[in-house]
Amino acid sequence: MPPAAPNSAVSGTTTPDSAIRGSGSGAPTPGSFDAVVVGAGPAGTSAALALARGGARVILLERGEYPGAKNMFGGMTAYCPAPEQLVPGFWERAPWERAVTKRILSVVGAASSTSLVFQAESGSDRPSVGVGSTSDRSLTGFTLFRPQFDRWYAEQAVAQGVTLLSGCRVEGLVVRGGAVRGVRVAGVDDIVEAPLVIVCDGALSLLAQDAGLHKGFKPEQMALGVRALYALTEEEVNDRFGLSGREGATHEFLGCTEGVRGGGFIYTQTDTLSVGVVVHLDSLKARELPAYELLERFVASSPVAHVLRGARLIEYSAHLLPEAGIKMVPRLSTAGVLVAGDAAGFCYTNGLTQEGMNLAMTSGMIAGRVGAEALAVGDVSAPRLSRYAKELKESFVLRDLATWSRAIGFMHHDRLFTAYPQVVSALMEDIYRSEGHPKEKILKLGRRAAKNGLPVRQLIADMFEAGRAFLW
Amino acid sequence: MVTDDLFDLVSYRIHPEAHIRLNVDVCQGCTHRACTFSCPARCYTWSEERSRVEFAYEACLECGTCLFICDREAVDWHYPPGGYGVRFRLT
Repeated sequence: MPPAAPNSAVSGTTTPDSAIRGSGSGAPTPGSFDAVVVGAGPAGTSAALALARGGARVILLERGEYPGAKNMFGGMTAYCPAPEQLVPGFWERAPWERAVTKRILSVVGAASSTSLVFQAESGSDRPSVGVGSTSDRSLTGFTLFRPQFDRWYAEQAVAQGVTLLSGCRVEGLVVRGGAVRGVRVAGVDDIVEAPLVIVCDGALSLLAQDAGLHKGFKPEQMALGVRALYALTEEEVNDRFGLSGREGATHEFLGCTEGVRGGGFIYTQTDTLSVGVVVHLDSLKARELPAYELLERFVASSPVAHVLRGARLIEYSAHLLPEAGIKMVPRLSTAGVLVAGDAAGFCYTNGLTQEGMNLAMTSGMIAGRVGAEALAVGDVSAPRLSRYAKELKESFVLRDLATWSRAIGFMHHDRLFTAYPQVVSALMEDIYRSEGHPKEKILKLGRRAAKNGLPVRQLIADMFEAGRAFLW
Repeated sequence: MVTDDLFDLVSYRIHPEAHIRLNVDVCQGCTHRACTFSCPARCYTWSEERSRVEFAYEACLECGTCLFICDREAVDWHYPPGGYGVRFRLT
């Protein structure tokens, strides 16, 4: 079939249809690209940059009007050194919102909540806040808006020679002789051919399925996040969270999802708050509760309503997250194709930390490097590209997923989201209560608090499992 | 916040053709109708009058929940054509 490549070099301003239907307007000849990267998110742009820096001619395809247009993420990314190897001074220049110095985890019961607060030594005069220095242990990460972040990151890739085509939906892969040889884009017979394809098409991972790398993620492996964005002033955000300068806070909640497995969150941006809930899809289905209703009740709950007083609701969004850890990671490559980021299941929460963007950028970068080396020697066979999985196993990406595999599994117990928050609340209420009766020690109080919801045997079994998940 | 307010705040560039198609024949016989409460954009609704699930694609947030929730493969799921569908703003 006659290959028809899209228009020549374009930037993020390309309009959807015109970009694809490029016949007669100087389209490059077939074979003008060594590699196609699908999806201009953190994984895809990192892959494109690593390929370009390795000498490959790269086209980066994005289905949104511009990179980031399809992304609702308003959360925190853990500090990640990978993009600094691709864009010098990355974290000094990238458009992030706040450098997170405060992390709060709250367990919500019926009549009270109990919180753990991590607060790095404060002070807007501390020079390293916001610079992204790895030596600053207080800097746990950054909050950011992906429509801005992804767009900026893709511009850096364009500046390094990557061809970006926005408004371009990839329909499937071109497979010939058992190897992926390009992608099919919108329209009936538009094809972009290249010896190497890196698929970073996000959580639904449709193209990796197309390549036969997996048979589709399962509902119990996915979580649905819904988010409301609220506007305040920068001063109000600082006052309400005890922050100064560009310091940021994250606040996560357990027990606020009415028995659906999941949690709530508040993230601080410069002058906005991202407020939402993330719930496991299978649990949502079983409980028959719409996520936006959980969100509405969460927003109205006392700890949240307090920080939202007077705030103006400005946007709503929803997205899926892969959340099953190492168990859902597919085969990572085959002849002519590699998969990175959410599409590879590289995203997790163990209850204490939530990581995804750092795994995406690192896996994308490694995929791009392995791909560039393979192209340089003219060997994009399955055995050659399996070096990608090998390198990932040595990196924190697959090692962290392995380290936390029990913890990720532990997060799938219903009672963690129902019985335990109530027990914690009842226990703390007893500890703080003083009404003229003799006090009891904590174990006795705990047993009473757990009496109705949790048999002792279950409690001990869970303690042991939690220990194996988090402690040793 | 009222749930209805949420849906008015989303910005779209709507393509004239639906990117997701629901096979209503396959739908019939489903007992849980989980799409009607799982879809975060309320694209799936139960019509008492017509006694079936009805689908409208315009408000879709392209999350893919329905693809995972439906266990009868009644959902023919695609992203909207390039440049169309939901667009999250630069705030």
